[in-house]
Amino acid sequence: MNLDGALKTFFAEAEELLVSMESAMLRMEEGDTSADTMNELFRAAHTIKGSAGLFGLDAIVAFTHRVENVLDRARDGKVEMSQELLSLLLPCRDHIATLVAHAMKQEDNDAECLAHGQGLLESLQPWLDSEDAEIAAPIGVENASSDLTLATEPGRDLWHISVRFGPDLLRNGMDPLSIIRFLGSLGELVHITTIEDHLPELALFDPEQLYLGFEIRLRSDADQQAIEEAFTFVREEAELRILPPRSNVDAYIKLIKSLPEFIHRLGEILIKSQALTYQELEHALSTQKQQAKASASVPLLGEILVQEQAVAPAVLNAALDKQKKNAEKQASQESRFIRVDAERLDALINLIGELVINRQRVDLLAGKLGNSQLIEAVTAMGGFTEQIRDAALTLRMVPIGDSFQRFRRVVRDTAKDLGKDIELHIEGAETELDRSMVEKLTDPLTHIVRNAIDHGIEPMTVRQERGKPAGGTISLTARHDAGNIVIGISDDGGGLDLERIRQKAIANGLLDETTNLTRHELYQLIFHPGLSTAEQVTNLSGRGVGMDVVKRNIEALQGGIEIESELGVGTQFTIRLPLTLAIIDGFHVDAGGIDFIVPQNTILECVDLPSTHHIEGQHCVNLRGEQVPFIRLQELFCLTQKPGRREKMVVVQFGEDRAGIVVDDLHGEIQTVVKPMGPIFQALKGIGGSSLLGTGAVALILDVPQLISYAVNVENRRNNSVLADVQRSSS
Amino acid sequence: MNQSSGKKKNTVAAALTKQFLTFRVGSEHYGLELNQTREIIEYAGITEVPLMPNFLRGVINLRGDVVPVIDLSVRLGRKALDIQKRSCIIVVELHGQDQDHVLGLLVDAVSEVIEMAESDIEEAPSFGANIRAEFIQGIAKQEDQFIVLLDANNALSIRELAHLVEAQLQ
Repeated sequence: MNLDGALKTFFAEAEELLVSMESAMLRMEEGDTSADTMNELFRAAHTIKGSAGLFGLDAIVAFTHRVENVLDRARDGKVEMSQELLSLLLPCRDHIATLVAHAMKQEDNDAECLAHGQGLLESLQPWLDSEDAEIAAPIGVENASSDLTLATEPGRDLWHISVRFGPDLLRNGMDPLSIIRFLGSLGELVHITTIEDHLPELALFDPEQLYLGFEIRLRSDADQQAIEEAFTFVREEAELRILPPRSNVDAYIKLIKSLPEFIHRLGEILIKSQALTYQELEHALSTQKQQAKASASVPLLGEILVQEQAVAPAVLNAALDKQKKNAEKQASQESRFIRVDAERLDALINLIGELVINRQRVDLLAGKLGNSQLIEAVTAMGGFTEQIRDAALTLRMVPIGDSFQRFRRVVRDTAKDLGKDIELHIEGAETELDRSMVEKLTDPLTHIVRNAIDHGIEPMTVRQERGKPAGGTISLTARHDAGNIVIGISDDGGGLDLERIRQKAIANGLLDETTNLTRHELYQLIFHPGLSTAEQVTNLSGRGVGMDVVKRNIEALQGGIEIESELGVGTQFTIRLPLTLAIIDGFHVDAGGIDFIVPQNTILECVDLPSTHHIEGQHCVNLRGEQVPFIRLQELFCLTQKPGRREKMVVVQFGEDRAGIVVDDLHGEIQTVVKPMGPIFQALKGIGGSSLLGTGAVALILDVPQLISYAVNVENRRNNSVLADVQRSSS
Repeated sequence: MNQSSGKKKNTVAAALTKQFLTFRVGSEHYGLELNQTREIIEYAGITEVPLMPNFLRGVINLRGDVVPVIDLSVRLGRKALDIQKRSCIIVVELHGQDQDHVLGLLVDAVSEVIEMAESDIEEAPSFGANIRAEFIQGIAKQEDQFIVLLDANNALSIRELAHLVEAQLQ
């Protein structure tokens, strides 16, 4: 049977719950003692345990159960949520995450992992009352029992669960067995009767359909809600009836009456499972019969019950009703979000991309035909297409705050390891960007943050000497800026020592002693592979690998990274990224017979090349008094077709760099869907992707920062070889 | 004529047949396993990608997907193809370890689909075909014509193609 679908949901849910556990604990650590936070933490652990039980993930259940016990005691105020306990619970959460990860990969938990878990549980022992596990949880509907004498009889202190599963249960990927198994984890399964009355003749039997029902007697201290939760996943299609321990006979009679099977058969089952004695059943049924004779119409069993011992079921029903309402309320809150497979969303956005392209084609044709009514209709349609596109793109947008929150833990743990006191300040958490980008940002951000903790923020003693507060601050900020998202990571630490960077670069042979670099260029050196300014290599960072990877990762996202720093005051990293990689606003040009698209957000202006003042012998123009270097696409890309007579220049800016890109012709703005170029073209620098034009032709999207650095490389190589030639001829 | 190799394979399964799409590149005939081919499209222009090695002719728009096009002639060590009236692109789909790849193959003309009993496929000669041995999965003979049956996974290995591109760019 295939449980994969439901399992996937469980893993996704567990991941979210683990995040909320973590954030709750971190808030507590910062002094948040509210009941809401405590409940959030407890609920998360509880749900993980419950759902894991459904899938028979026993390792998770066993471990989480103990953690949940501690949390439960803390919630009841029996133990204090101390810093000490919290720093024990955090690794416990991590261990649950490990167990979940193992389950997801279907790996066995190795000995090390098990030993680690055991160690954690032992360290939790002081917070666990030894009798705690044995103390019965309060039973919500205890008062419902009106006949207390029954409670002492055998079989009375058991829950009775009667369930008829929906026929489609198996098809939906659920397994009744795992539910029963989970019930077993709540207590002791005393008696199970399988109701196979609905099994059809063999010829009609559909192996994918579930025909079974179960009558279960369960000895458990769990409350009704916990038992009901076992059926969460099948609730909608199953008929579920739960009778609490010590329910009176009438409740059972009512149960029997409400079940679809033949009355006597059910009676037998209940007697067999010691829920009722034979006399009790006989008595109740005969009472009903007598009344039926007395009055002409068949009385409702409910009425009889009300007459006889009405209080108990009424109370019971009220309690059940209330619980149901609560569950519904929760469900309605959850339903504001729909979990959608990312692939489906991508497929939709792809289709909308096609729509955008086709719209441009229709535009083109309408323009050619010159029918004003058609043009009008096409323009209106164009407006809607854009709206659809924007709406679809927002579906992928998520607030960056979720990923920022993750850094609370990184900062806390890393700072603790280093004996520093560091506060993380978050701003602009609601700023949204494409989900796929958020994921790819995590690694570079983690690296920068760790660097800031490790190298940026000075040790406490140094800070005090410098007259700074002993505790350092790291800020993570995010904001939107002209179609980009700008993420800042700043610290109030020691700042970058330019002289040391310079010395290091010289020592590593990256720099000549005589070369003069601007501040900006020196900062960029720290992104060079093999340059680390940390004097001490720690296990966190400082190996000189990383910052170059950070830069590469950011550039892979079509973004850029800048550094601003002041010695002794702090360092600020600024990352600038497009909001999405799926669709860009571009400018369509062509050179050497190939269509190119320049991302709009990099363009400053477009000029006629011949009209600008050319600097003789150099690839440089004088643009209103400023020297701007340029590259000719046709030359750089070795295109065979001769350039046109009136070349145009697109002036682009990225970060601090400004350059001209010389092309044959300008065709205007275009909104375009980015299509990846595929693995074959991975090594190609300067082209970030491809796109389809309204005509159906393929255009190549320029990656401006890459293109410029590629051009610089090409030129350096050429100069070097010229230099080598000169040297060779002179020697 | 192929009895010696035929016998060897007969013992495995006599009735196993494979279908091949055959086509012409220059004066030579080749075949690709039919289940690796997805469709054949008429040549209608290719967008050149700058700085690419000769075997990579460029990219095309295949109903919204951008697909690279390989000049099979160059890939097999021959001279680049000229576009002719019957030039077309065979779209092949290869299932790699990590993901599936779609490639276009520029060929001079597509011929037909043939069905070959596996026993009738001769092993590739170790030399003489003037093509790297691992590109060939076998040779078929049809009406005095030799058809080189290509091993697409080797001849069009994405990893190798990407390496070649990288080498060209350096």
